[in-house]
Amino acid sequence: MNNFFQLLINEQIKLYIRKSTWTMYILIAALVIGLAFISNYAADQTEKYQDDNWRQTLQDENKETKEDMEQENMTQNFHSSRIEKNNFYLENDIQPRNYDTWQFVMENKFLLSLVSLLTIIVAAGIVANEFKWGTIKLLLIRPITRTKILASKYVSVLLFALFTLLFVLIFSWVVGALFFGVSGMDPHIVLRQSEGYAHVSIIEQIIKGYGLQLVTLVMMATFAFMISTIFRQSSLAIGIAIFLMLSGNAIVGFFSNYNWAKYILFANTDMNQYINGSPMFEGMSLGFSITVLVVYYVIFLTVSWVFFTKRDVAGH
Amino acid sequence: MSETAMELVNVQKTIGNKEIIRGLSFEIYKGEVFGFIGPNGAGKTTTIRMMVGLMGLSDGDVQILGNSIHSDYKAAIQEVGAIVENPEMYPFMTGKQNLMHYARMMPGVTKERIREVIALVGLEKPINDKAGKYSLGMRQRLGIAQALLHEPSVLILDEPTNGLDPAGIREIRRYIRKLAEEENVAVIISSHLLSEIEQMCDRIGLIKNGEMIAIQDVDATTAETTTVGVEIEAAPVNQAAEVLNKEYGINATINNERLSLHVERETIPKVVQTLVGYNVQIYQVTMVKSTLEDKFFDLIGENTIE
Repeated sequence: MNNFFQLLINEQIKLYIRKSTWTMYILIAALVIGLAFISNYAADQTEKYQDDNWRQTLQDENKETKEDMEQENMTQNFHSSRIEKNNFYLENDIQPRNYDTWQFVMENKFLLSLVSLLTIIVAAGIVANEFKWGTIKLLLIRPITRTKILASKYVSVLLFALFTLLFVLIFSWVVGALFFGVSGMDPHIVLRQSEGYAHVSIIEQIIKGYGLQLVTLVMMATFAFMISTIFRQSSLAIGIAIFLMLSGNAIVGFFSNYNWAKYILFANTDMNQYINGSPMFEGMSLGFSITVLVVYYVIFLTVSWVFFTKRDVAGH
Repeated sequence: MSETAMELVNVQKTIGNKEIIRGLSFEIYKGEVFGFIGPNGAGKTTTIRMMVGLMGLSDGDVQILGNSIHSDYKAAIQEVGAIVENPEMYPFMTGKQNLMHYARMMPGVTKERIREVIALVGLEKPINDKAGKYSLGMRQRLGIAQALLHEPSVLILDEPTNGLDPAGIREIRRYIRKLAEEENVAVIISSHLLSEIEQMCDRIGLIKNGEMIAIQDVDATTAETTTVGVEIEAAPVNQAAEVLNKEYGINATINNERLSLHVERETIPKVVQTLVGYNVQIYQVTMVKSTLEDKFFDLIGENTIE
């Protein structure tokens, strides 16, 4: 176990010593700051509710919106949900919250697709690059089994995903705090849930929002890792994995007339379908999806292992 | 002979239907430098890859200090240090970082040992530069340094003189002799250039089409042969040839105004004396020393050693 830790250190050093890895973090940082500027608009919107007259403000708003609705029918949905939301505030006597860093972090959960993308790039390179550099020959002639070396590389990918995720969370929170301030440590917000509007904890929303996307992240990173151990080529692995990640829903949609479509990986990666209570296919349950995911996961890792440990390292 | 460090027992490798290596068996002893010679494509690198566990064996076994590479991989490979083909390093890390990386993968490599190895290969100055900026010669030295970190009993160097200048070759030759003689390491060196490694090897094995066709002690070849080739630059050259034929019954051939003949070493002074006695002007007498190479040319049967 001790030398597994040493292998992990090696892999982390090789990852973080390279400029390309740092470029990824700089990219995330730039995006977060950009988003903060855009969100300034949303922050201004909540200003008007912050005085003691907020009930009056909400009522005025409802009246205005109703007048708008009578004049044009185009934006019916938007207007009616706005009224519904305002009514929820009034009925439950909740003052709309000031926009703060917690909401900013919550809204940034789509950045996790970027984290997935970067993790795929790292997963695709971590084995293939050793072949590209030719260093695989010096790496494998050590008194360490190939299984252990492969495991250290895989765990390194997961660590990278974890660190990057933490970076997104913490950096977003700090930037948000600078732009919008922090109001309270366990803030609640009114959000549309599957059964209409509800008053929910933001932190809970953050954990749910980020956590559910981790399923896709881990599955696609493992997939890229497998492709790169089979073909020993990172660009191919990146290409296939990103293509599948982006077109996953389309693939499921294309085959949706067939019963076996529910066994497609992408039909099972979105756990929101069970929270909302609307599974993609009939006969799917949380247990079913978890089983399908575990089967795919085990296949990906087994194939990687077989190709990495059993195949000769021959010349170019 | 001394203890066996590495033993190959009927090693075979078949890829598809092609037999790449057809049953290699030989031993390498502690403290000797073993030259592994063969034309390109003879199976040198494949054999080396099997020795270090990069490629699986189709049949047979490799034993390092008695540990089989099949059943006792860790114990076997622990005693091996190697460069396989080019010494490729992580270009984005410094020489020191590269060494540290490999040191973490092996038990018992101290900081002190890393410093020692750096000094041994003479890389103290550029050790904190990025390996990507190293010349081929410097990478070759860094490659040797990483192979020596864990003080292995067997050192395997695949084409270590590739791309080195003559000074670099001489230096590597010196390290290798020192390692074999002082540290009792068994060194295996592969090359397709016999002349480059002949001087540092104790024994030389010749491989062709995946078979070992000869193993030869380097010293024995010189001692064994009773006659040596001699070239004499003399004038008039025709008269000199006649004299040699008359006095010694030697049939000398004339090449570019030079006499070329085979005599016993002890006779050379007498031959010269006789020629001088016949008023032949002698400008130069040279011994042609490539007997080992001649021998291998004969064995290979074609001009494939570059």
